[in-house]
Amino acid sequence: MAVSPYLEGLRVLDFCWVGAGAFVTKMLADLGADVIKIESRARPDNLRVSPPRRPGTSGLESSGYFASRNSSKRSFSLDMRKPEARELAHRLAASCSVITSNFRPGVLERWGLSYEDVRADNPQIIYLTMPMQGASGPHRSFIGFGSTISALSGLMHLSGDPDRPPVGTGTHYPDHVPNPGHALVGLLAALFHRERTGEGQAIEVSQLESTINVIGSAILEQSLGATIPARNGNHATDASPRGVFACGDGEWIAISATSDQAWRDLADVLGHPEWGEDVRFCTLEDRKRHEDTLDAMVRRAVTACTRDELTRLLRARHVPAAPVNSSRDVLEDEDLVARGYWQRLAHPVIGPMAIAGPPFRIDGERPQLRSAPLLGEHTREIAQDVLGFGAAEVERLIAEGVLE
Amino acid sequence: MINEPSAGGGPLAGIRVVDATRFLGAYAARLLADLGADVIRVEAPGDEDAEDGHGAESHFARFVNSSKRSITIDLRRPEGRALLDRLLERSDALIESFPAAWADDVGLDPASLAARHPRLVQVSVSSYGRDRTDGRTDDDLTLLAAGGLLHLGGYPDAEPMAAFGRQSHMAASLFAAVGALVALLDRARLGRGRWVDVSAQESLAQAVEDSVATYELTGHVRNRLGSEPREAGTGVYACADGFVTMVAGRLGTTKAWHALIAWMVEDGVPGADELTKSEWATLPHRQRPEAIERFGEVFGAFTADRTRLDLYRGAQERGIALSPVNDVAAVLDDPQLAARGFFVDVDDAQLGRRIRYPGPPYRLSATPAALARPAPGHGADTDDVLRDILDVEEETLTSLRQAGIV
Repeated sequence: MAVSPYLEGLRVLDFCWVGAGAFVTKMLADLGADVIKIESRARPDNLRVSPPRRPGTSGLESSGYFASRNSSKRSFSLDMRKPEARELAHRLAASCSVITSNFRPGVLERWGLSYEDVRADNPQIIYLTMPMQGASGPHRSFIGFGSTISALSGLMHLSGDPDRPPVGTGTHYPDHVPNPGHALVGLLAALFHRERTGEGQAIEVSQLESTINVIGSAILEQSLGATIPARNGNHATDASPRGVFACGDGEWIAISATSDQAWRDLADVLGHPEWGEDVRFCTLEDRKRHEDTLDAMVRRAVTACTRDELTRLLRARHVPAAPVNSSRDVLEDEDLVARGYWQRLAHPVIGPMAIAGPPFRIDGERPQLRSAPLLGEHTREIAQDVLGFGAAEVERLIAEGVLE
Repeated sequence: MINEPSAGGGPLAGIRVVDATRFLGAYAARLLADLGADVIRVEAPGDEDAEDGHGAESHFARFVNSSKRSITIDLRRPEGRALLDRLLERSDALIESFPAAWADDVGLDPASLAARHPRLVQVSVSSYGRDRTDGRTDDDLTLLAAGGLLHLGGYPDAEPMAAFGRQSHMAASLFAAVGALVALLDRARLGRGRWVDVSAQESLAQAVEDSVATYELTGHVRNRLGSEPREAGTGVYACADGFVTMVAGRLGTTKAWHALIAWMVEDGVPGADELTKSEWATLPHRQRPEAIERFGEVFGAFTADRTRLDLYRGAQERGIALSPVNDVAAVLDDPQLAARGFFVDVDDAQLGRRIRYPGPPYRLSATPAALARPAPGHGADTDDVLRDILDVEEETLTSLRQAGIV
């Protein structure tokens, strides 16, 4: 199978695991980099033991979550408690262009793989770390997850109904977009600089600092002080009505009347052209003033419609509308399917499964993904091809439990 | 070629980027600007109101457009498009969100641009991908819906609810910046620019967590979990001055769960002893509704007279992943962020005010990213750019201005 060419020749030594970090190196691997994921049987990636699994499957190779975040990588498994394994990790570090890690500060240092250690042998290395709150400061060793970073950053407090507790995104959102996205931007920019100058560097992405940037406008608003950013549910200052409504078929639709014309068209499509003439609702200002009334009217009218039909009718009139796609819907969504967003990959334990690649096409094409690796699947080939061991030597290292 | 980095700049010093997006891709160009690129935002003359929008929107515009220069060119007119072409001739990348059919008609489509500017990296940012977007109007809410993130957000007993902050714009921009950099890197090898076609819907579909895998492998459609605890020890909990969030369940270590119970026992919380029983150490038990409820009562008694910060400090000392649910004022007061000098104050001459910005999302040891300047006024740099980059004579400039082209 053809490997995507975009980042061909870029070798990445990958100590990332679980959430945000794994998504960074998945993107690099999906775009053609040779990502060597360092694994361990003694302490497997948490995602390998996380659901979902297909009924009847179990063990470290069965996690669908792991498979969805580790496509196109190679897995190299070793026991870092053994000095010889650490020696091999050092040799890999010397032969790679990039090292990535989202371990807590101190872990790589204990293994003699600090930035300074690696740079001594490999001055051009790009060394990416993704500590929760940075490697310095009083909270440098505090632990967290995507959801707790979302809470610390202010994103959670700002998301939800103003009259109820904050609700956030319902996910570990910082792990999925803000932190891998920013880490990739910093990493690729550093690679670009190295291409031009030969200079390597260390990149630190504090997951907290990164996440605050995706609510950056709220920081500006608070600092300007005229208004205080607050939870607003599905409402917005620039559209009304704007919300999510239950359709007659039990599905949800999102609708946003972003102009007076969109409002009149919405009223018309809902079978109430007279609402468009109602003086209470003429301008955005009017509609914001009567928003609760308006929401109730729209809510009632939408129950007479089915989701996909109403979406079609509203889109035909240029009224912003979309189905609230569930996890089943996104797999069948006609735009995502038409653009080849999902690739069905065969996994030896899980079987066929839809995996998403990068959210863009390059020159009209999708990079071809490969299924996530089994634990240690590429240990032998990497030991031979990258580290230059003979077959007999590799078998000795495996027999001694250095390699797995 | 403009490929020599200038001394002291960021990693993209010497690179010129034309930002012809509206909101959807604007943050992509902002990221490149902070990394040292000369980013020139092309806006329509007289479009100031539409661009600045209302209230919160202007904060958004100000945030995503800082570090850029702004010029106004009327791209509806051939003379305006000729100026854009001359600018692209002297640029490395274009990030745009032109309506596709219009761009096809006037020769600003990716194929025509590639024919005229073979080394130009092109990034199109659109709602559903360039081939699927025309004729549709969307806003943040409808994109969150189409991308699948909205379905996972909100309270279980109410309608799905959006995340704050135009995350469709942020997500599309983040991946547009990634695509732009991949193509810039690849240009050296390939000798030509590539075209990256970013979909906001797809960018949000990156964020659906394990829900698609869950549906694929088990047939279960995941619903909104809200802030309700998913299992004893994981969720949002009220305290004396607000809320905290904690992960001491499935994703947390067993150690964290035991540390949490020991803390409550030590403190003499009524009912804490009950949680030391062995069944509580197992996940299936902690996931039972009665267990979630009982834990909530005991933990609620513990947190009722403690502040967010007391709980944060105490939990982290014990290796428990608990954080305050910060409002923005608390974020600005956070001691960790202060110790790291995260926030950046910038004088905005246009506003006559000092504004506080978040610092860069990453720290690059050799070539740091930095906010170059506050967001430019509408068209503030038109004359400079036309004169210095396009070598337009003063006379020509005057006639372009009189004709309303710039």
